[in-house]
Amino acid sequence: MSGNRSSVAAIALVCVSAFAQGAGDPLAVGRQMLAEDNPGELWIDQGKNLFYEKRGPQKASLEQCDFGLGPGKLEGATTRLPRYFPDTDKVQDLESRLLTCMVQLQGFKREDLIKRAISPAGSSGSDVEALAIYITSRSNGMKMNVALSHQKEYDMYKAGEYLFYRRSGQTDFACVQCHGDSNKRIRLQDLVNMTDPKQIQEVVSTWPAYRGAHFVVRTMQWRLYDCFWQMRLPELVYTSDTSIALTTYLHHQGNGAVVQVPGFKR
Amino acid sequence: MRKAWLGWTLLGAPALIAAGCATYPDQATTRQIAEKMVSEDYSAPTPALLKRLVQDKSQQICSKIGGAALTPAETDEVLKLARASIKYPASGKLVGDWKAGDTLAHDGAGDRIQGGRLEQRKENGGLCQNCHALAPGEINVGNVGPSLTGYGAQRGNSEAIVKYTYEKIYNAWAYFPCSNMPRLGATGHLTPEQVAHMVAYLIDPQSAVNRK
Amino acid sequence: MAEPMKIRATLQVDTADVRILMQHPMETGQRKDAKGAIVPMHFIQNVVVTHNGKTVLDAQWSQAISRNPFLGLRVKGARAGDRISVTWTDNKGDTRTDEVAVAAPA
Repeated sequence: MSGNRSSVAAIALVCVSAFAQGAGDPLAVGRQMLAEDNPGELWIDQGKNLFYEKRGPQKASLEQCDFGLGPGKLEGATTRLPRYFPDTDKVQDLESRLLTCMVQLQGFKREDLIKRAISPAGSSGSDVEALAIYITSRSNGMKMNVALSHQKEYDMYKAGEYLFYRRSGQTDFACVQCHGDSNKRIRLQDLVNMTDPKQIQEVVSTWPAYRGAHFVVRTMQWRLYDCFWQMRLPELVYTSDTSIALTTYLHHQGNGAVVQVPGFKR
Repeated sequence: MRKAWLGWTLLGAPALIAAGCATYPDQATTRQIAEKMVSEDYSAPTPALLKRLVQDKSQQICSKIGGAALTPAETDEVLKLARASIKYPASGKLVGDWKAGDTLAHDGAGDRIQGGRLEQRKENGGLCQNCHALAPGEINVGNVGPSLTGYGAQRGNSEAIVKYTYEKIYNAWAYFPCSNMPRLGATGHLTPEQVAHMVAYLIDPQSAVNRK
Repeated sequence: MAEPMKIRATLQVDTADVRILMQHPMETGQRKDAKGAIVPMHFIQNVVVTHNGKTVLDAQWSQAISRNPFLGLRVKGARAGDRISVTWTDNKGDTRTDEVAVAAPA
């Protein structure tokens, strides 16, 4: 009997001291592990293969796709998005532009792409998600630098700001209700204060991200959709002007942020 | 000479503007552009559900960009509309069953729209745990709103406190115009009976919220 | 079709720090789908790591390992250019092998 007690005491002592060692920031070790080995990297590799593969009815790669710096120029391209594109006469974010190219260059049907863009949780992910994270990874280490020069870019920015504060529905929520103060959290999920320029930088530099609970890569389009879902509002249309306006506003506010994908979300 | 110079300037200025010295649109234009987007960029199983995006008068007032302050007139209007919206349970009892309130307070589901379908359950969750600390010792609680731990223990359960608590949950803007808190009863997310259960959860001395 | 792993092997003095990301559903066989039917078991049962052809790790995994698992290990006596090969096999008989050379420190 006493033998048991002393061995249990010994184990308890070991557990306590191990815990005490990590008491500084108990999450730091975990954060570092996730930063060094993020499953999202698997999709960056897949996205790279998909980018160069000849796909779709037109059996073409995406090498001729212009993300704003010229056809096929990927390095730093997403640091300038969203931006105005003369060929479509629209302000487009990464996912919107990706769809444009997948339709025009590869011959995919837009409705099909939209249907599969956001993959089911636990699936092997969508081609759109993999491509989005690959293309964004080509800006890793570079600073966000969204410029406003075309009138439509100014319009989008202001519309995004308006929408950020627009309250509606039975929750009376706009983005600002949850993202307007620092050190707030919903249950145990920390909330980014998006009225603070420093904190917005974290938002714009860590998407697309591996969403642990879904086991797939998630993008900014998905994140916006999911917010409106929780707000009890109707479903945000994929790559709609509303989504691009909000993204333009947030990305411009986050200028200076250093891109580092894949992000990791819970 | 002077006339020619003037002529060139008159020609040049509109040309410059037409050439697109782009600039931020004014508030009215922004509103027009954004509201058009809102009317086009969402889908829902029924047209009635799309109406969730339409702002009521109070929401319009409370959507100030940059969190700008309300004018006294706007404050009065939001308060007036909020107070007028308050409905009480048919039974007249503002305090329900605290155990039912406990369940509701920890329920964050109900009434969401996804994949073309409305999430229909027996009743909508109260969503309280998302933003408020509740019973002592619970870890998985938010802090967007103030802690409600010990709510009844601190305030007692006088008629005045009960009425205030009921009305605050039913329509928080009756006391704090444009509060971040949803007007749970007034918007129809919760029924008056559900609100009464939540009052009990906060007020009842036996409730877990008031446990030592 | 088994998805490729991502393997990094970095030399630290005489030890290779090996990091492996795998893509696999790792279904326990206890989850139910939206319709209420059991999602069948589908998980990696065996992982073998070799160093220049010699087995250095032979692991038996169960359903307790999470989806898209990560495996890290340190291989002593390694030199830059050595081959590190990883093979997993799952309960359906699916298998995947990927290999990488130990990289000298940057």
